[in-house]
Amino acid sequence: MISIAGNVALQNVLATLEIERKKISSTQKKGYLFIAIGIIVALSGFALGLAVPAAIAGLAPLIYGGIILYKISDELKAYKEAFKVNVIGSALKSLDSSLLIEPDKGIPDYEFEQTQIFSQTPDRYKTEDLVSGNAGKTTFYFAEVHAAYKTEVQTKNGTRTEWHDIFRGILFCADFNKNFVGVTIVKPKDLLGTMGAWFSKNLFSFNDKDIISLENTEFSKTFITHATDQVEARYILTPAMMERILNLNRNTKSSVSLSFINSRMYIAFPLSRNYFEAPVFKTLLNPELLNEDITVINFMYEIVNELDLNTRIWGKN
Amino acid sequence: MAALIIIGALLLIAIFFYNSIVGKKNQVINAFSAIDVMLKKRFDLIPNLVEVVKQYTNYEQGTLSKIVELRTKGVSGNVSDTEKASIDAQLSSSVKGLMVNVENYPDLKANSNFINLQSTWTESEEQIAAARRTYNAAVTDYNNAIMMFPGSMFANLLNFQPMVVLATAEEERKNISAKELFNN
Repeated sequence: MISIAGNVALQNVLATLEIERKKISSTQKKGYLFIAIGIIVALSGFALGLAVPAAIAGLAPLIYGGIILYKISDELKAYKEAFKVNVIGSALKSLDSSLLIEPDKGIPDYEFEQTQIFSQTPDRYKTEDLVSGNAGKTTFYFAEVHAAYKTEVQTKNGTRTEWHDIFRGILFCADFNKNFVGVTIVKPKDLLGTMGAWFSKNLFSFNDKDIISLENTEFSKTFITHATDQVEARYILTPAMMERILNLNRNTKSSVSLSFINSRMYIAFPLSRNYFEAPVFKTLLNPELLNEDITVINFMYEIVNELDLNTRIWGKN
Repeated sequence: MAALIIIGALLLIAIFFYNSIVGKKNQVINAFSAIDVMLKKRFDLIPNLVEVVKQYTNYEQGTLSKIVELRTKGVSGNVSDTEKASIDAQLSSSVKGLMVNVENYPDLKANSNFINLQSTWTESEEQIAAARRTYNAAVTDYNNAIMMFPGSMFANLLNFQPMVVLATAEEERKNISAKELFNN
């Protein structure tokens, strides 16, 4: 586990960034203060029945506050980027020297669709904070992804667009330790999925993938597995692998989804928090600061061990 | 008219169950042939394995000739399915023994052909395990279909017999560990 306390280099980086943070924080506070004054002046003017002078008097501090915030926004961006590269970056390096964070990169939308974990095509797709590296012999990467689709709702005043999350969280990808050619998808079981599974098993199947009935009862209760090849799916999902996936799933709040495709394995972790973000109004010198980020980094790094992906005795090195 | 509709509906249900059971039975046959394919793949590895090992060792002749003999028996057309399975089990344990003994021959252990064969062997081992599990799942599915009501009615009428699942060897239930296998 990485700790700030024992890492002098990290402490120095944090101390330098703290100066920058204080500057940004005080400027932002000033900006917000002027905006608040503007609003209060305008409102009290309205209350006293002096609408026009109040609007003029309130507008000046409002604009001034806006300019202050606008002027600091570039510095804020640079500060957040520096936090990711220097602080998160050095935390990653102290865990494993091969790990690297690239804040502006992510997992592209076509790759997201290729995983076939999600049936919906996203209309809006955001990704950031790509972390990549090796854990032993296994290369892996993960990034934050937010994908959503929209629906048009008819209202009295025309149409309104509503956005629905397809997925929000971390998408993890690792080179899988066995060769395979087909597609195997493991999703959390829900009512619709269960009914669909029964239907496609007993009546008709609508897609190219079969439902795989696996002998691990807990696994079958938790997940529903589709694959293009029955034998290959079991070659990937060995009894030991199913146990490991269940274990991994127990350690996460929301159920994970997995897919095995193009010689890789993808795991989608639904998470609501935005990771690796620098605080503005809280000090960087708090030793607990990085706890959650570090936990998530460790967790991702440990997946390779947890799923035993470094055991390469199956003709794939 | 009503009677006709009822008879028609019953006939449709009967056809549906009959087709469904036949489909499941075919899946079992299909799954069994998958095991056969995997076994053949593994038998085909033997000659190469024996060749490579021969180059480096003089002491394992007994094991090697036993392995070759088993392989010849396995690929000859006139063995029953159960015999084939038992040949495979013997072959598997002999090769495993051989792999452990490789420790005594550092040159062989470092030979790239051998390393390649070793991993192909373990790959085939796990693939056979997967094929057997597929077969068992198909058998369970078929058995459920003919033993549960109303499928059981048609099964009795049309003489569909329940099938037996393959017993899985204890070692197939756990993942192959490189450490145990190669004694590294």
